[in-house]
Amino acid sequence: MPLHLLGIRHHGPGSARNVKEALEQLRPDIILIEGPPEGEALLQWALHEEMQPPVALLVYRPDNPQDATFYPFAEYSPEWQAICYGRQHHIPVRFIDIPLAHEFALREAERVRQEAPSEDGGADGIERQEDLTDESELRNGTQPGTALVTEALADELLEELPEPDVYRNPIRYLAEAAGYADPEVWWEQQFELRRGSLETFDALAEAMQALRDTLPLKEDRREQLREAFMRRAIRNAQKEKWENIAVVCGAWHVPALQNMPSQKADDALLKGLPKVKADATWIPWTNSRLSYESGYGAGIDSPGWYTHLWNRSQDDGTEWLVHVARVFREQRMDISSAHVIETLRLAHALASMRQLHRAGLHEYNEAVQSVMCMGDGALLQLVWRELIVGHQTGSTPADAPQVPLQRDLEIWQKKLRLKAQDAPKLLQIDLRDESGLQKSILLHRLLLLEVPWGSKRAAAGKGTFKEEWELYWKPELSINLLEKAAWGNTIEEAANALLGDRAAKAQQLSQLTRLMENTLPAELPAGVALLMQRMDQLAASTSDVGELMQAFLPLAQVRRYGNVRNTNTSTIALIMDSLLARIIAGLPPASSGIDEETGAALAALMVQMNSAILLLEEEEYRSLWYEALEKIMDTHQANALVCGSCCKLLHDAQEIDELRTAQEFSKALSAGTDPAYGASWIEGFLKESATTLILDDRIWQIVDEWLGELQPQLFQEVVPVLRRTFSEYTNTEKRQLAQKAKAGGTATTTTIQRENLDEARARTLLPLFYKMIGAE
Amino acid sequence: MQNVLRQHAEQQFAEELEELKKQDTQTKPLNWLLSPQAVVTYLVGGKLANGYHIMPKYIGNRRLMEIAVATLTTDRALLLYGLPGTAKSWVSEHLAAAISGDSTLLVQGTAGTGEEAVRYGWNYARLLAVGPVPDALVETPVMRAMKDGKIARVEELTRIGSDVQDTLITILSEKTLPIPELNTEVQAVKGFNVIATANNRDKGVNDLSSALKRRFNTVILPVPNTLEEEVEIVQQRVNSFSKTMELPLEKPIGEEVKRIVTIFRELRSGLSLDGKNKLKSPSGTLSTAEAISVMNSGIALSHHFGDGSIKADDLASGILGAVVKDPVQDKIVWQEYLETVMKQREGWKDIYRSCRDMM
Repeated sequence: MPLHLLGIRHHGPGSARNVKEALEQLRPDIILIEGPPEGEALLQWALHEEMQPPVALLVYRPDNPQDATFYPFAEYSPEWQAICYGRQHHIPVRFIDIPLAHEFALREAERVRQEAPSEDGGADGIERQEDLTDESELRNGTQPGTALVTEALADELLEELPEPDVYRNPIRYLAEAAGYADPEVWWEQQFELRRGSLETFDALAEAMQALRDTLPLKEDRREQLREAFMRRAIRNAQKEKWENIAVVCGAWHVPALQNMPSQKADDALLKGLPKVKADATWIPWTNSRLSYESGYGAGIDSPGWYTHLWNRSQDDGTEWLVHVARVFREQRMDISSAHVIETLRLAHALASMRQLHRAGLHEYNEAVQSVMCMGDGALLQLVWRELIVGHQTGSTPADAPQVPLQRDLEIWQKKLRLKAQDAPKLLQIDLRDESGLQKSILLHRLLLLEVPWGSKRAAAGKGTFKEEWELYWKPELSINLLEKAAWGNTIEEAANALLGDRAAKAQQLSQLTRLMENTLPAELPAGVALLMQRMDQLAASTSDVGELMQAFLPLAQVRRYGNVRNTNTSTIALIMDSLLARIIAGLPPASSGIDEETGAALAALMVQMNSAILLLEEEEYRSLWYEALEKIMDTHQANALVCGSCCKLLHDAQEIDELRTAQEFSKALSAGTDPAYGASWIEGFLKESATTLILDDRIWQIVDEWLGELQPQLFQEVVPVLRRTFSEYTNTEKRQLAQKAKAGGTATTTTIQRENLDEARARTLLPLFYKMIGAE
Repeated sequence: MQNVLRQHAEQQFAEELEELKKQDTQTKPLNWLLSPQAVVTYLVGGKLANGYHIMPKYIGNRRLMEIAVATLTTDRALLLYGLPGTAKSWVSEHLAAAISGDSTLLVQGTAGTGEEAVRYGWNYARLLAVGPVPDALVETPVMRAMKDGKIARVEELTRIGSDVQDTLITILSEKTLPIPELNTEVQAVKGFNVIATANNRDKGVNDLSSALKRRFNTVILPVPNTLEEEVEIVQQRVNSFSKTMELPLEKPIGEEVKRIVTIFRELRSGLSLDGKNKLKSPSGTLSTAEAISVMNSGIALSHHFGDGSIKADDLASGILGAVVKDPVQDKIVWQEYLETVMKQREGWKDIYRSCRDMM
């Protein structure tokens, strides 16, 4: 019953090749892989034609999806190759690592123990991820899952090596022993670039054994549990009489699986572990997520380069450098074929100088920088992004089991031809177009679900039918989506439910107003109905007219322009009716007995409200609104500024005639009233409306007289307020006012001269005039 | 020989080169004295198999030196690029010394450097007397390097006029130097290559044509990465200076070096070391080379006019001279630095006072 232990480095193309060759040579009848048993059932999709690595197994707790772990696989992951081999040859493939059902439970127990209630689940995922990749496992001794940290390190060792290095990267220990300064290079030269697989595995096992012997192990329970689980799985396979067992696991674990302790000891260790429910699903992964750049990375810094190594193992660097040259050329840098040749030569010279078998990524990068970039490292960043990391995005089969919500998103993505890409991309949407509208609705719904795939930008140009989005899919968004799985099985359903919940929880009208702005474009009638209901409730209990008006304003926009998005406006109309009624009832009392500052804010809101009313073109609203304004104007306790503003609005709408305006004006500014009141009133009236003053002689006259009659002492009190009003006028307006004042207040008066009018001649102009104004 | 003010690299480090040659087991390119690996060892220092200690000439990233040496093994020339005072000429001299055993084949680039300084010139007396014969030809360092298969050095390449720069193109790509007057040519022997230096700070220099650029691999020499690295560089150079100048160093000067380097680094980066204070940067480059020269002049001052132990006073004038290059702008920068950083710093009272008095 031979047992073959194939120690690997996760995501190493060399390891992958070695594993593939070893399996073909060994012809095992069962393959055991270091991976989560929860994912075993999903392996049947590995060879599906729609399955394109990089992909990841996402294992999560259905009741708390933030507690999740990703297992990314690239094509050059040894595990992936092992899985594919198993599927191709129809032999069982098992995952033998600790079941995440236990892992999650242990983690929770740990959290409880540490009494850190706010520990971030996402960070947990990272942590777990880190310790799944041997590379980082070996590199980063500070992770709980890594077994190499110890205070008992031999003093001699500490003297020789800088302390943190030993802790962080025990591989360095071996590399230094072999005379390599860079442990990565050592690993790559020894194991990745080396052919002849079986011997390599033996050598590696030996090296790891030596490492585990030299560096005393830290007592890490999780590590022990994991290895005990793996041993148990191996024992089970042996018991089931499999003849030829191959185990693919991180190189670090090989010695632990080689020297089996007694079964009893393991059983004791694994007894009574807590357990929770865990589900698994496939999700597409991306190259940049495989790299170091992100928290969920798999710990490889050059996935693009690894892909190249895997696909083009015979390349001597020529192909790679041609790709590099192309990237530069796309950026309009002049790179000739001669550059490529020279770069290749330099890279090979460097490799031979460093006594390497083959030039590695370091050599190519240095050569590129020196030959193509004039020594400038900044330009190399470009290659880094485009090639060394690369933009590959994986895909998963549609019929693999998925959370319904995730499924729904994929259906929509396919339908709307929106690809989930891991690089930022701009999307312009025309809402008049059905598919554009659908896209916008989807993105808005996702925003409500806290899946910020797209972020909205201010679209250039005018028009309400255009939207600009920046799309950037990050795989952790999948978690956000999973979190919302409980809210419904489709995105629409979930968004509606979530919206209803949020509305119910909102305690202030302003919260709802904000929510409303995001909700309306997401087209969720059911959710909107709930929102409206809640709005009605809150509006009834609020006494703040300002808040009511602020809620009213966005609704007016929607109702007027809602037809762009085909929004059903009848629900909105209902709530607007009730809102307006409340506003009108509340406004007159609200405008009296307030200080100047509140008054100014209220007046500003009223001006906006006025435009909204005009925009709506609803006769009923209009008459209600102006009635209310007139009522305020007639109230003697109303704030002067609000009062002046009302008068102005009514005057503009021609609800009151010139005579009435003049009357109001002189009343407010008459000798009987306090000059401060008059000044505030005039500020409310004249704010941002110099034209009235310039063109309306009667008002001019009234102001003029009022000013003339002021006592010198009162005049001094009033001047600052007047100054404030006038300072907001433009220079041209001020100049015109000054000219009018200089001319005695009649300079701009235009009187129609009726004398000597040749009517017959004038009539000949009329047809053209009608045509111009379109009255014909 | 002992009298010369400054020895060539190959003279000063003759012993090291000899040891390296003895221990060198790697293959050498034709006409190289040492193998590429040994050249790198010579530059970055290290211990030989027999325990002989090679002093580091370049303190910094080893990979940069590897790229430089690897470039010289190919048929591309090497361009060392960087701020003034980042050891470009120093590296170039030592590369030539280690590879060819001769760092003297040097063309100093200036605005007045003509074609005859790069290709060949004529001894006009002979030319008039006997006409164009090989004897009347005046060889340039470049031409000699081609004939002997050695490294030629061109200093400050970008200061040379573009038309003259471009005469290098044929030499670098065809490895030949035609002499139409004699209807002959000089073909480069294996081992020939060119190391050029240029700095990227000066304005009004002649940028390389893209044709010439393509003949060079560029290595940018950076400003030292860390304080420790820079202190090490300054200290090493100052020690060797006091040796050649016969100035006895009475006390360890490490503390003073550290202070100078700190001042220079802070002003250069516009940020105090603890990252808390934002500073203005003066117009000068404040390179490591300048820090070295401040230390050197301080040692000379203390030796000749003081009691031989270096004090804040001895350094203050040097620092002032290095920092204040523009009498108006830089003075403000310096004053601000004195008051906001230096004054507050523990144990810096003496240097603060000396610098203040200088102003």
